[in-house]
Amino acid sequence: MAFNKEIYKALEAVVGSQYISDDPVICEGYRSGPGGYECGLGYERVMTRLPGCVILPKTTEQVQRIVKICYRNDIPYVPYSTGFYGPRSHPHVEDALLIDLKRMNDFVLDEKHFYVEVGPGMIYSPIQEVCMKHGAYVIVGGGGAQASAVANLIGDGWSPLSHRIGLPHRRILGTELVMPDGELLRLGSLAAGSDPFWGEGPGPDLRGLLRGYTGLRGCLGIVTRMAIKTMPFQPEPLVPSGISPNTSLVLPEKRVKWINFIVPSKEAQVKAMREIGHAEIAGAVTKVPIFWRAIARAESKEEFWDIWSKENETSVASFFIVRVLLIGYTSEEQMEYDEHVLMDIMQEVGGQARPTKPSDESWIKNADSAGMWLMCGSYVSVDYVIETLSMSSVHGSSYAELKKKYTPPLMPDYADPGWFQSFELGHQGYSEFLVYWDADDDTNPVDQFYVDTSKMNIQNRYYTSLLGPHQPLYLTGPNYGPNYHEFLLKVKNEFDPKWKSHPPVPLAHDVFVERAPWMHYMKDWKSPDDLPK
Amino acid sequence: MAEELAVRYYKPRENFKFDITDAENFVYDMSRCIKCKGCTWVEHTYMPGPKYMTRCPSAARYEFDAYGAYGKMRIGHALVEGKLGWSEKALEVLYACTLCGACDVGCKRNLDLEIELSLESLRVKAVQDGVGPMPAHKKIAQNIAQTHNMYGAPHEKRTGWITKEIAPAARAEVLYFVGCAASYKNQEIARSTAKILKAAGTDFMLMPDEWCCGNLIFSAGLYDQAKALAQRNVEQVRKTGAKTVLLSCAEGYRMWKVDYPKLLNISTDALGFKVLHLVEYADGLAKDGRLKMKKPVPTRLTYHDPCSLSRLSDPWTPFEGKRGWMGCVEPRLKRRRGEQGVYHQPRELLKAIPGVNLVEMPRTRENAFCCGAGRGAYEAFPDFSKWAAAHRLEEVKEIGAETLVTACPWCKSNFAYTLKGDGSAVQVRDISEVICAALE
Repeated sequence: MAFNKEIYKALEAVVGSQYISDDPVICEGYRSGPGGYECGLGYERVMTRLPGCVILPKTTEQVQRIVKICYRNDIPYVPYSTGFYGPRSHPHVEDALLIDLKRMNDFVLDEKHFYVEVGPGMIYSPIQEVCMKHGAYVIVGGGGAQASAVANLIGDGWSPLSHRIGLPHRRILGTELVMPDGELLRLGSLAAGSDPFWGEGPGPDLRGLLRGYTGLRGCLGIVTRMAIKTMPFQPEPLVPSGISPNTSLVLPEKRVKWINFIVPSKEAQVKAMREIGHAEIAGAVTKVPIFWRAIARAESKEEFWDIWSKENETSVASFFIVRVLLIGYTSEEQMEYDEHVLMDIMQEVGGQARPTKPSDESWIKNADSAGMWLMCGSYVSVDYVIETLSMSSVHGSSYAELKKKYTPPLMPDYADPGWFQSFELGHQGYSEFLVYWDADDDTNPVDQFYVDTSKMNIQNRYYTSLLGPHQPLYLTGPNYGPNYHEFLLKVKNEFDPKWKSHPPVPLAHDVFVERAPWMHYMKDWKSPDDLPK
Repeated sequence: MAEELAVRYYKPRENFKFDITDAENFVYDMSRCIKCKGCTWVEHTYMPGPKYMTRCPSAARYEFDAYGAYGKMRIGHALVEGKLGWSEKALEVLYACTLCGACDVGCKRNLDLEIELSLESLRVKAVQDGVGPMPAHKKIAQNIAQTHNMYGAPHEKRTGWITKEIAPAARAEVLYFVGCAASYKNQEIARSTAKILKAAGTDFMLMPDEWCCGNLIFSAGLYDQAKALAQRNVEQVRKTGAKTVLLSCAEGYRMWKVDYPKLLNISTDALGFKVLHLVEYADGLAKDGRLKMKKPVPTRLTYHDPCSLSRLSDPWTPFEGKRGWMGCVEPRLKRRRGEQGVYHQPRELLKAIPGVNLVEMPRTRENAFCCGAGRGAYEAFPDFSKWAAAHRLEEVKEIGAETLVTACPWCKSNFAYTLKGDGSAVQVRDISEVICAALE
């Protein structure tokens, strides 16, 4: 069924003929996959569809008019900022309207009140560049410097810099949301007609609904404007150097410095992170997957496998690193003090400082998530968990164990326990587990592993982030609720009674399990008979 | 590597080669795009801020994802797999593009996919399928066949740029390949080049009968015609015994250094002679003390990196091998990532000129925004070309440069044409003219 011509004309009147198309070539350009985050997996193959039409609004008012036309005429639509987040940010039903928000890339810096105000088309690296020039900084989320800041903040929005800057909930300020029926909702101080310096009020604060734990992928409407809190940074320039692909920021060593420490055990790793937090020092404290070291050293994917294939379970299990970013926020003297404290902590836990380059290749301005595809071509973070520091390291080991069952097709990673780090000065521990495979292999076990991780989290009572649309809602809801799923569906029905905003999210993974025969044997939970088909 | 791991990871290997006459060779690359859009964004380390975020003219101008490499890879994949048919829109998506290589170096920072070769192979496929190239390209191909230059100008006027002060040698180690643009339209570049060589005491010869390099027809996908020109031109140079082919045109430089070897299935080294752009040669002369640039040229100046002299100019090596588990290839492949581009030489030359105040634009080197004129875009989509030049000129004006310098007649012409009538005082110069102005 082709996109309705009358509706096309109505939409064209909103944006002009240059910014709408239902041409098959234009629509093909918006295909999810075959490559990309989570692409090539069953979810992408079973659940995604080409859009029936693509439209590029420029203003909030245009978005409202578009959505109202869709709602009135029962046209499903999907908001789309950069498209990086794989199949879950692409249409799941036939003849959907894809609303590409890239033209909404406004940027305003309010230096005095420490925030930036952006549209959904604005990505992280330009924001960071301007902030740093004005003595401030933001977190370039782990989703990458190329991610839409708005989409990332209502989805994920953390990185090693979350050690100090904190979680995204606390950085989203005044926000503007076009509801699924086209009405405009302003959150925080924007609701009172003020500037967006405050997220909490005096207007309604629905940020928790909007992003929940890791977001709802546009099924509750479209964020068209958001203010993001910035934090004070040190004043010296971080100078770009090198020719691509070997580029980095040269750090002013008396104000910004990475130091890598080798510590004797996992317990020492956790203790060091906790003590660093307690001492309120450092800008980042992290332990990344060990194979990231091999990625950093390799000049090519073939060389990565040369390096990585030399590892084994013993070498991986006995390698404990803590990476610390020191920032002299206020002065060189403060940085010196922090370094002394850090060295004292490391001496106590038996940590040894390793020679570390005086540069930053990733995290401060360029969260290099795209490089994660180099060695295999396929990748997804199966889970991220925000726990206590002690539990987050346990979580990684559980994953490593479960992963063995699904290796192959997952890449041999020798039980690498993933990425974990301190959040909010050690108040929380963050753990993320990434898996890789060759897209040309049988990938059904990767789909199965994904759902099995949910069952593992439920069994071990880990605080998984991947609830809502990321896993079967009727599997996770009763276990994290007992009525989390019912609550979420009531919210969805209240916001979007006609289910036109990115259907069938938040039930998409439930639908996927029903549609994919290779998933049926795993289904040991109950779901209603009237799931959207 | 795969075979050293447990047998459970064994995967049959598939043959492929860097042969753009068969787009199947690049299906892997087209299918592995992850939409990180590293092809479009300025590399994040160098990201200058919200105003100049992108480096892909097509994606910036047309805005739909289809026009970025992430869209083109999906469209190309669907075309090769037969899931999408050719249409006017498909041709526009493929040809309203300057093949400037920004996408290629961007991807090779992240994924090492062969984006440029994929795009070239899709244009060849368009020709093979009888739908390409664009009408403007067909006319130029006809001109080249009839008059050996792309303009259809009389062949006998090709050396019309030579004045009485210029005396090419009958034989010399250096052969100056002038190219169509400098022979007919931008003769000031050819004359300046000759003056620079004379000032440095370098004898140079010309080809006994110079023909078009074939850049435009190669870029449009007319592979066989381009290959015939490559064979003819390389053979002619070999006959002269010249050790160096010198070019003042970036597009021609890329043809000789990269695309002739590609067309002839040999490495750049196997050409039998060196290929140098004037800026490389002059930089060497200046460092040897043979080129003395003493006369002040007082101006606030910025340098635009021509794509074919910078990110597209790594030497070519043919590749034929197998791709196996996780996409690893054997034998090992030295990927062309734009690292060997001619970036520093023009800047060092300009900085050595007294009075020159070299200021950089927000987007430079491998992140430069293409002028919009190259690889057949100017001929088939002139409005797009002009738009791209105007967009680049915004940067020039923003940094307050009085002079915009480049090292390619295509860039120079497009910038100069776009500036006409806009009231700007910015002047556009080829680097050969600036060097010449500094000679006493």
